[in-house]
Amino acid sequence: MDSLSRRRFLAGAAALAGGAATGLLSGCGSSVSISKSPDELVLWYWNRSISPTLLGQAAKQIPGTDKRLRADVIGGTFDTKLRTSLAGGAYIPDISGINSNCSLYFPSEDLFTDLNELGAAEHKDKYFDWKWQLGTTPTGRLCFWPMDTGPTGFYYRSDLFKKAGLPEDPEAVSEAGSTWESWIELGQKLKKNAQASIISNASMIFGQFINASPERYFDKQNRPLYAQEGSAVRKAWDLSVQAIKAGVTGNLQISTDQNSAWVSGKTAGHIEAVWWAEILKDTAPDTSGHWRLASQPVKPGNSGGSFLTVPKTAKDPEAAFAFISWLTSPENQAATFNEIQLFPSTPGSFTSGTMKGGGKFFGPQDELSFFEQAAKEVPTTFVSTYESQVGAFALELANVETGGKDPNRAWDDAVSQTDRVLKKRGVI
Amino acid sequence: MAIAEQTPTTRLEQSTPETRRRPTALKKFWPQYLAVSPFYILFLIFGLFPILFSIFLSFQDWDGMGEMKFVGLAQYQYLLSDPRFWNAVGNTFIIWFLSTIPMLFFALVIAFLLHQNIRLKGFYRVAFFLPNVTSMVAMAIVFGSVFSDSFGLVNSALTALKIENIPWLSTSLGIKVTIAVMVIWRFTGYNAIIYLAGLQAIPTELYDAAKVDGASTWRIFSSITVPLLRPVILFTVITSTIGGLSLFTEPQVLLGNGGGTDEAGMTIVLYQYNQAFTQFDFGYGSAIAWALFIIASLFAIINWRLVGERDGMKIRRNNKTEAGS
Repeated sequence: MDSLSRRRFLAGAAALAGGAATGLLSGCGSSVSISKSPDELVLWYWNRSISPTLLGQAAKQIPGTDKRLRADVIGGTFDTKLRTSLAGGAYIPDISGINSNCSLYFPSEDLFTDLNELGAAEHKDKYFDWKWQLGTTPTGRLCFWPMDTGPTGFYYRSDLFKKAGLPEDPEAVSEAGSTWESWIELGQKLKKNAQASIISNASMIFGQFINASPERYFDKQNRPLYAQEGSAVRKAWDLSVQAIKAGVTGNLQISTDQNSAWVSGKTAGHIEAVWWAEILKDTAPDTSGHWRLASQPVKPGNSGGSFLTVPKTAKDPEAAFAFISWLTSPENQAATFNEIQLFPSTPGSFTSGTMKGGGKFFGPQDELSFFEQAAKEVPTTFVSTYESQVGAFALELANVETGGKDPNRAWDDAVSQTDRVLKKRGVI
Repeated sequence: MAIAEQTPTTRLEQSTPETRRRPTALKKFWPQYLAVSPFYILFLIFGLFPILFSIFLSFQDWDGMGEMKFVGLAQYQYLLSDPRFWNAVGNTFIIWFLSTIPMLFFALVIAFLLHQNIRLKGFYRVAFFLPNVTSMVAMAIVFGSVFSDSFGLVNSALTALKIENIPWLSTSLGIKVTIAVMVIWRFTGYNAIIYLAGLQAIPTELYDAAKVDGASTWRIFSSITVPLLRPVILFTVITSTIGGLSLFTEPQVLLGNGGGTDEAGMTIVLYQYNQAFTQFDFGYGSAIAWALFIIASLFAIINWRLVGERDGMKIRRNNKTEAGS
């Protein structure tokens, strides 16, 4: 083949591709929102995060507006897809769900509408204050609207507790395990008499201790707190190491092992949020009726729960706000709970009397009122953007549990690893 | 050589008419060029642009949404002193070593057996190739159950044999062995089919002649099969190296984005994914990608030297003898 004409062809192809790319880019630039229709707002959410019935209603008309809603299920890596849209400034939804990691978006908060400007303050009293604060950025803008929440409790197998000669009644167990020390003692008896662990692994204790603490890894100025003497992180660490030494944790690090242990009764307890009940029902249906809920030692925390946000580019922020405040009204959250078991962020949902507790899984116990009580006790706290960088602590704790690594060395390694990463990110 | 030397003269002679002919070549062959253009256009947009952009990104500090900040070589400096990166490099090579050597050995044996006159040949070929087209995600879940520490099939078998249980998924070596077994399981059949194709390309006359000369099976295997399979072996070694270096799905599905206990299953690509898409540190993710590119290039060169060049020398020597005779 003639080399000269090939070169010429390549130049032509490059020009063509360049033209195509410019065409695409200019195409993007002209439509910031996904939907061109002025009467249609686009919502991004993931499966089982919003009630299909309510979405169906809003698809016809968003109450109080003349707009309608188009809801797109975004599968897989939700954050990556939303961030890509926001970074590219194109195909941005008018409303989006955001998971419990909303603090990740704090550095780019100006991409989102401050819902206070749209009259959020009127609704503030309806929501749990701690949940409201989680969606507020360090500069005081409410960019992430409360959707569902995840108050935690201590799940346990009453039959195995009985076998171990321990109290089996929820109130008695709550009392017997009201401090972490007494909870670990319960675990030791359980291990000795029923050959069962009280929790799958030590990292779970670590995480739930921090979830129940008003102080976490950073303060509102993103200054690290973990390395300080007597920090919440250090207390959580010492407690978890104590639990490992007492032999009450199951040393189960992967989910298949954990699931089998719940099915077989090798693990007789867990501390997790309300949504975990659904997972447990699916994982170990045969254990139905044996599980109960007791208070988490000291006090409950919050694990998980999601938010709604209105990007700055939204076509009609007022209509978007009308939608999110309607969707999360106490009545609608109660209906959502009955439909897909999302735990409400409004105390009013419980008083409406329409919420239905679920079946016989927890025997005669009403898990709804249990978690309602827990939700009231969740402390207000601040989650920093940089909490995505602190994975070294849980990892080093697993090293102590599985490999018998010296706890002090593991702590030093976790701190220095975290410091290194934060220095790289320019936080410290 | 002689032909190559002639070309410039031909070109020089035709230089004047050619300038006139150039536009007609494009005009004349435009349907063909148009037919092949989609690949090049797509490659420029979705292949070349991301590659170039990742070079650019590796000099920036960017969380994927906010402003980019130029940091020069800081990402690479951090990379060189990052123990987690070097741990990932070490893991990748150990897993690669644990998987590739047994895998290629089994593949060669299987290919040799499939090449014999056996019944149900087609069935066996499909059977050995099947793991390669099975969903890796499904397989990782199955392997997770099989090698599970307290409830896995393997450990149950060990218990039945009164051998102490091995914590496959919570010790450093256990995790690496499990991942290597997954790789072996998946790619042995694939490589066996490639070897089989190579075996079938060897002319039967060579075997017949060797048999007439009274060569033993081992002699036939070592003096005919292996030398003639050499280019195929080189091919499988290089593809396995690339596959081994870019190992991702198996550890990710088996152990999650964290790489398991002590990050023992954290491979280079998993670390890159972890940094770019779970920590949203795109600059560092790109730097890791380019570090992987350099490592892969080094290995391609080493592979070539070890297996390829010897072949090349042999061919050149043969040519010389032919020319001499």
